[in-house]
Amino acid sequence: MGKLTVLNGGLFTTIQDGGREGYRKFGVPVSGIMDEQAYKLANEMVGNATNEPVLECTLKGGEYRFDEDAIAVLTGAPMNPQLNNEPVNLNAFFKVNRGDILKLGFAEKGCRTYVAIRGRWKVPKVMESCSACTMGNFGGLFGRALEKGDTISWEKLEGDFDTREILSNQMPYYSSKITVNFISGPEWNWLDEKTQNFFLNTSFKVHTQSNRMGIRLRSDESIKVPDKQITSSGVIPGIIQLPPSGQPIILMKDGQTIGGYLRIGKVLDIHLNRLAQIPPNGYVRFKKTFF
Amino acid sequence: MELPSLQFNGNSWSVFRLGEKAWLLTPQVDSGSLAVIHQAANSLEKASIASLIDIVPAYNSLTLIFSRKNIDLTKELSHVNFASEIQDVQTHVVQVCYDLGLDWKELEAHSGMSKEEIITIHSSVDYTIAMMGFLPGFVFLEGLDERLFIPRKDNPRTKIPASSVGIGGSQTGIYSLESPGGWQVIGRTPQSFFDVRNEPPGKLKAGDKVVFESISKNEFIKLSGQNG
Repeated sequence: MGKLTVLNGGLFTTIQDGGREGYRKFGVPVSGIMDEQAYKLANEMVGNATNEPVLECTLKGGEYRFDEDAIAVLTGAPMNPQLNNEPVNLNAFFKVNRGDILKLGFAEKGCRTYVAIRGRWKVPKVMESCSACTMGNFGGLFGRALEKGDTISWEKLEGDFDTREILSNQMPYYSSKITVNFISGPEWNWLDEKTQNFFLNTSFKVHTQSNRMGIRLRSDESIKVPDKQITSSGVIPGIIQLPPSGQPIILMKDGQTIGGYLRIGKVLDIHLNRLAQIPPNGYVRFKKTFF
Repeated sequence: MELPSLQFNGNSWSVFRLGEKAWLLTPQVDSGSLAVIHQAANSLEKASIASLIDIVPAYNSLTLIFSRKNIDLTKELSHVNFASEIQDVQTHVVQVCYDLGLDWKELEAHSGMSKEEIITIHSSVDYTIAMMGFLPGFVFLEGLDERLFIPRKDNPRTKIPASSVGIGGSQTGIYSLESPGGWQVIGRTPQSFFDVRNEPPGKLKAGDKVVFESISKNEFIKLSGQNG
């Protein structure tokens, strides 16, 4: 059994896995990792099963002491990671000795970094998932972000393993200006042609209040919102909501299960990874597509 | 993407593909859509369709989320035995300490009635659980007497205590977890209807009935172990 001690929690670090399904009728969001690509890579690189929990660091990672030898990997955003003050590479596993300190700083690019160890973080499952849902105060470690003084144990996986390597030209690149594809939502046609074109031709700025619940977007000129309301209905991650303010919100993994704002579109699942890595003050453009 | 409408459960439903794995179904009925939705949701639950992972009833729609993209909705639904009535509707008695309401001044002023009159009206209705969400365990109830309709607060509270009973517009409901919120708080229940340690986490389900029973502050303290 290994143990990790949190020396510094970082800005917002939570434990996440693939999320929880089947509880939306109780109002429980799916939660789980924001960037599925980086998450999968992390577990593959240390030879874990695909759905093992990882630490998800946001914008600024924390500082962690390993109280046991470990094999670890970092994927996602580069946060200037250091092991005992020596730089470590992303996207390749590394050995950690008992007493070593892993320190992450601010994201140079992107927004979220994943820390995986070979083995399984020992956190209780709530509704079949280890994922923290901080808005509901459950899951992860005590339903909250990691704090200084927290300890997390892990069950080691012994023996050899197959790692996955990626070539340098296949390394994920995180831009602060992204384009995401979307399909039209139930109220897309409520927007007149001019407003639709405005939406398609605007580069929206990512608001600093964006989080795991939703990416909040801003534009100098807000979108003209039709003066019609809908009855609240089921919504899912990726849904582009248009509130009366005319500033769209893209629902993410901790997003509400039911919403009453106009649903003008849905970002394709494969592009949610890009949104997971868009930092505040980054820019998002939308490209309309079909199934 | 708008798809051709479907026939099931004795009704015509418009179908919108909300996402790769999600379909939004809206019954084409003039009235009583909530009952139609609850019946359909109940039948779908009972059918245990392997690929159907989430069934989300709302006031006038049903959202279905599947585990994969390539779903033939007509085929999936063809195996479902749709019943016209839900067999296992439960009635839940929810005790409320109205003395723990936070917004009595607003409620009395807006309705023009006394606290006692409001309590009598609020606790004499058989409510139907319309839906649960948008937050974990939040219970939306249908059936509020229109004399008690009151707008949401202009400035939502940053913290409403768990188990608060509130009124927002024409709806009444229960905040299962502590959360921010804009509803007027009329009381608090000592009972817990959502506990993540339980499987399933909630005892209530959409389509069930709720009746409120007024209790004193002493009873609240005894039942909840809290001082309110």
